[in-house]
Amino acid sequence: MNRISLAFRSFFAILFGGALPEDIAKAFGFAKPTPPPPPPPPAPVIKTSDGALQILGILQRDARLVDFLMEDISAYSDDQVGAAVRSLHEQCRATLDRYVKLTPVIDGVEGTYAKADASAGKNAVKFVGNVPSGPPPKGGTLRHRGWKAQRVELPALAAKQDVNIVAPAEIEIE
Amino acid sequence: MAENRYVIGIDLGTTNCAVAWADATDAPDALTLPRVESFAIPQLVNPGEVRDEPLLPSSLYLPDGKDFPEGTLQLPWGGDPSHVVGVLAQKRGVERSNRLVSSAKSWLSHSSVDRTSALLPINAPEGTPKVSPVEASRRYLEHIRKAWDQAHPDAPFEQQQVLVTVPASFDAVARELTQRAAAEAGYGPVTLLEEPQAAFYAWLEKHPDWRERVKVGDLILVVDIGGGTTDFTLIAVTEKGGELQLERVAVGDHILLGGDNVDLALARVVEQQLAAKNTKLDMMQFHALWQQARVGKEKLLDEESTAEEHPVTILGRGTGLVGGTIKSQLKREDVLRTVLDGFVPQVSSHDMPARQRRAALQEIGLPYASDAAITRQLARFLRQQAAQVEHGSVRRTGSGMAAPTHVLFNGGVLRARMIRERLMDVLNSWLAEEQMSAAEPLLGEDLMQAVSRGAAYYGLARRGRGVRIRGGVPRTYYVGIETAMPAIPGMAPPMKALTVVPFGMEEGTSHVFPDREFGLWVGEPAEFRFFTSSSRKNDDAGMYLEEWKPDELDELAPIEVNLSGDTGEVVRVTLESHVNETGVLELYCVAKDGRRWKLEFNVRERVG
Repeated sequence: MNRISLAFRSFFAILFGGALPEDIAKAFGFAKPTPPPPPPPPAPVIKTSDGALQILGILQRDARLVDFLMEDISAYSDDQVGAAVRSLHEQCRATLDRYVKLTPVIDGVEGTYAKADASAGKNAVKFVGNVPSGPPPKGGTLRHRGWKAQRVELPALAAKQDVNIVAPAEIEIE
Repeated sequence: MAENRYVIGIDLGTTNCAVAWADATDAPDALTLPRVESFAIPQLVNPGEVRDEPLLPSSLYLPDGKDFPEGTLQLPWGGDPSHVVGVLAQKRGVERSNRLVSSAKSWLSHSSVDRTSALLPINAPEGTPKVSPVEASRRYLEHIRKAWDQAHPDAPFEQQQVLVTVPASFDAVARELTQRAAAEAGYGPVTLLEEPQAAFYAWLEKHPDWRERVKVGDLILVVDIGGGTTDFTLIAVTEKGGELQLERVAVGDHILLGGDNVDLALARVVEQQLAAKNTKLDMMQFHALWQQARVGKEKLLDEESTAEEHPVTILGRGTGLVGGTIKSQLKREDVLRTVLDGFVPQVSSHDMPARQRRAALQEIGLPYASDAAITRQLARFLRQQAAQVEHGSVRRTGSGMAAPTHVLFNGGVLRARMIRERLMDVLNSWLAEEQMSAAEPLLGEDLMQAVSRGAAYYGLARRGRGVRIRGGVPRTYYVGIETAMPAIPGMAPPMKALTVVPFGMEEGTSHVFPDREFGLWVGEPAEFRFFTSSSRKNDDAGMYLEEWKPDELDELAPIEVNLSGDTGEVVRVTLESHVNETGVLELYCVAKDGRRWKLEFNVRERVG
């Protein structure tokens, strides 16, 4: 640092401001270095798996979907499975409707011609079959309407909630 | 500016609460009625999840630390982890029923218990917190107030015009306790309104052309079957100065019998069929069955259903969902037998309800109706209670039975078309027997929301923005006075009953009884016995009853007064009865020098 400029800066700073500039004071040992500001508190860790486990937990709570998927149903008759699925399906659907609003990507009739909307997003349309090389085709026969999550409304997780618990064990006191 | 801008109608139901509101300033001119809207009530539906729901289940859950993860009972307006109200309370209450308070309203009208003492949940084990029926009602009302304030920060709830509905059959004590619950919930002054009237107001709101639909001399029967109670009311169409008027002329007794009983009975039928096949249900499974019975009943009894049965599926309890699934059917014939023959049987108009209590419908504590047949309760209402109405305007059959020309239905059970039709058939068969023309059903609106909407309409009507039903006090009230006679050992001195509130006494009126003086000691509580009657309707104010039939008068909680002043003084007072603008009955002791003391109900002691 230039001595003259240091001297002038100190002189005028004391004359008009009544104090040495901070950097000069530090450089000459007149002030203790201030500790660096504490780092911001770490943002709550939200793993991508949290939302997945949460929706699984909700589907289990409301409709017992995990119980059904994890059960070995090979031994049961179609009748028995059908009876269980009917009520489970109704509940699952109501729950999905509530938390993840699903709409078709292309709201057309499957099996008829549909335009591939270029504005729908990169992975919104998948072309299958005799796809020409070059620019994507303008349309074709709609085989699957696709699904799009219109909105997701999952309740906030409590701070101490362990999302790994998809369903708690139940113990009844008799 | 926001003061009194809104009219808020609250249906404080036995099983569900509903709220409706109207913006009184929202009308282009004085003749147009502001729109009545339903208010969705935010509430916890799962731990940590708040959602707006059209109804607030009247369920109060008293959690302990183990019930819900910390911080998951937060409501938008903060949280009170000691109480949960609404859907979540109802859900968790199924799993842990001894911490669930339900049917608090039925307890409010139950005179054999102290309704201000912490006695609910009735089956809670030692060491569990308990609340009083008044406190439970306060919690529901408080939740509604806070939900409103959250949605309308510019129009504080306590500054709005609030109406709360009560069963028409609520006596003066139950009405006062409802008011007390509202005051404790931070409400300003509230107006009470009878539920069947509210249902009729909702019909009026839907039909501004009502004057073309009814005519002078018509008699409208309101049948209100809620989750836990059944209420009957008669409204007469009269005329004054060329204007059609509506007058509530009769109110039935409190019948603790409602839609929940119907669904429960159906669930029991299925449970027995399963038990015959050696399948036993646990508490949770039975509850699931109860819910499915309700759905099945509505499907089988509604519309043009031709299905012979409704499948009932109860999933396995453990992780073995498919393997443990229990399948059964709710058969049409069972529904018809249980519901139509059990609850609305074809009976004669001379059939009166059975007196003794039926074990099947009882739960500890509440005095459930002894006879499940709603049609027999109706026969009693039309013959006994309504037949003694003084008003000449009431249409009657040759034998004296009140003869309605129209029927308005309210309550969730009556969504089932066949139940409505059966009630009409039975009533019309009674009328046809006596050569009267058939009554017609008045098509109502949403049977779940009508009461709250009607209450909001009534709030507007009180401001002169719609038609009001004239009614007054639906019962007669008496103060017991011991006659001066030499004491006979072992016998209570005979008692006379002084009519202090005649039937139909109107809001804002008073009666004084100068010819009967009482000498009361200052500083010592004085107690009066208090009676009511729903069948004696011609006793004028000040009339003494020397004797009465045993079932004519019901004794209520005693009323007491504690005169303030110099102890040892005897003050000569007379009684004064007053019905205030909000329909609440008040009794005073008045001294010659003008000092007044209000008589309070003493609900602490057991009556009878």
